[in-house]
Amino acid sequence: MSDDEPTIIGNKRVLGIVPSRPPVGERKDPRADDQVMVWPHLLVRHAVVAVAVLLVVLVLAVLFDAPLREIANPTVTPNPEKAPWYFAALQELLANFHPVVAGVLVPGGIVLGLLALPYIDRNPATAPSRRKVAVATFTFFLVAWIALTIVGFAFRGPSWSWVWPWQEWYGEL
Amino acid sequence: MSMSSKLRQTTIGRSIWRTPDAVTERDRAAKHWASFLLHIYPVKVRRDELSFRYSWFLGVISLVLFASLFVSGVYLMFFYVPSPATAYGDIENLQTEVAFGQFIRNVHRWSAHLMVLAVAAHMSRVFYRGAYKPPREFNWVIGVILLVMTLLMSFTGYLLPWDQLAYWAITVGSSMAAFVPWAGDQAQQTLLAGDSVGSATLVRFYVLHVFVLPGTMVMLVMFHLWRWRKDSMLSHPEGGDHE
Amino acid sequence: MESYDRRGFLIRIWRWAGGLVAAAGAWTTWDVLRANGAGAGARVRTVAPDEVPSVGVLEVREMKGYLTRQDGEVVALWWKCPHLGCKVPWCDSSGQFECPCHGSVFNRIGEYRRGPAPRGMDSYAVAVENGELVVDTGEVTLGDPPGNETLDEPTTGPECLGSEGG
Repeated sequence: MSDDEPTIIGNKRVLGIVPSRPPVGERKDPRADDQVMVWPHLLVRHAVVAVAVLLVVLVLAVLFDAPLREIANPTVTPNPEKAPWYFAALQELLANFHPVVAGVLVPGGIVLGLLALPYIDRNPATAPSRRKVAVATFTFFLVAWIALTIVGFAFRGPSWSWVWPWQEWYGEL
Repeated sequence: MSMSSKLRQTTIGRSIWRTPDAVTERDRAAKHWASFLLHIYPVKVRRDELSFRYSWFLGVISLVLFASLFVSGVYLMFFYVPSPATAYGDIENLQTEVAFGQFIRNVHRWSAHLMVLAVAAHMSRVFYRGAYKPPREFNWVIGVILLVMTLLMSFTGYLLPWDQLAYWAITVGSSMAAFVPWAGDQAQQTLLAGDSVGSATLVRFYVLHVFVLPGTMVMLVMFHLWRWRKDSMLSHPEGGDHE
Repeated sequence: MESYDRRGFLIRIWRWAGGLVAAAGAWTTWDVLRANGAGAGARVRTVAPDEVPSVGVLEVREMKGYLTRQDGEVVALWWKCPHLGCKVPWCDSSGQFECPCHGSVFNRIGEYRRGPAPRGMDSYAVAVENGELVVDTGEVTLGDPPGNETLDEPTTGPECLGSEGG
């Protein structure tokens, strides 16, 4: 449209043409970056998730009792002495490396590394195929940590010796 | 007109809810904007945030578990005195004498385990989505701090039943602090309030567990959610090329 | 001296005041929470010197440790494992200390044999007063780093540890 020659359609002067875009609810092909109302669309999903989570907790709490051993006794160390599962990987490291490495440098390094991650990884891509180094590094640490957790949790018995979990169970929650 | 709508039209009702019944989307937006409970949410989000595979809802799951821990923890506090002379007996008493005592303790325990799992999974999911990239870097940092605090909550809570499991797990865990270069012994003694796990340690861990850590966590979670709300309408740095 | 206007001066005062309050708070917190060492370092009266065995060890709970002899001299060992603080029990059948936590093993006088411990067991200072051994638990000598054992005492039988400890 030129500025000097106004377009006339059906006796009306046309000021501009806007591409047709029906309201979100009526369009056939919803797109990822459409804006939708949080209430009710997101809220109802969050409510369902919340109920499901509470249901899981309820079932677990009804079926399994939290452990309570004998009263604390500073003169007897139980054997095996196992940490809760989320520290099992750390305990497994401690059984194999010097405490400065396994107890200070490794956990400290992991936390610092995670904190610094967004400032180290300046690659703007979000697709995994375009950030192979970051994904590979993270996956390596994640898999190693999960493996150590499983070993420390289920495969260690008295005096931190190797046991098969299907023969004797020493896992501690 | 329904009962609740009538209630809303009264003088008192209007003073509480402030906005009339929501009929149109515009009404709902206005109401959302005026609501205290909803103010942690944005009014609108991108459509892909509705789907399960976007986040697996792990953030919400963590938050629900945190709420569950908060509520069950308050119940437990009514029946627990943090002293070596009473702590173990209090737990036994809770499990055998108090109505639903064992159940509440189980809820607290399993919620705690699940929360560690959920928070760790949330972090992994955020990583694989690349959702820590600018401008969300600092919210990732807050998230990592929240993960560490979740573990500290578990660690401090682990001592409170004062059984063999508790005593030796904390002995081993705190001994790691002794290997920190330069200030190791000082760090361990400050953590334990002495040379070994004792009554002073129990009080210290109790205060951390029921006040200092959860208080800090609530504030950090609010900050975390506020930033999520601010950033929720931003498209991905490259226009959502994930899929 | 650099010059600044009134606003700059006030801002600077506020910053210094804030920093001062923060420093005072941090120092107070540290001073309140740091361990004051109470309870540690007590002098414990134990047994007569001739009751200390040269075969096996004598456990003394009051000093959280064991008494034994090395070439006739009394040795007072702290029972805390130098690895991660578990109590190291004496194993009668093998004649050595075996830690159940991560499988560290020490000989009768606390010297390092194997396992993840970074050094041998720590020991207390011992003195004889009025025919009694007095152990000063405040004076701890760190164990020797792993190396050759000075005690020539092989294991006397099966170990108490479940199987090969890590």
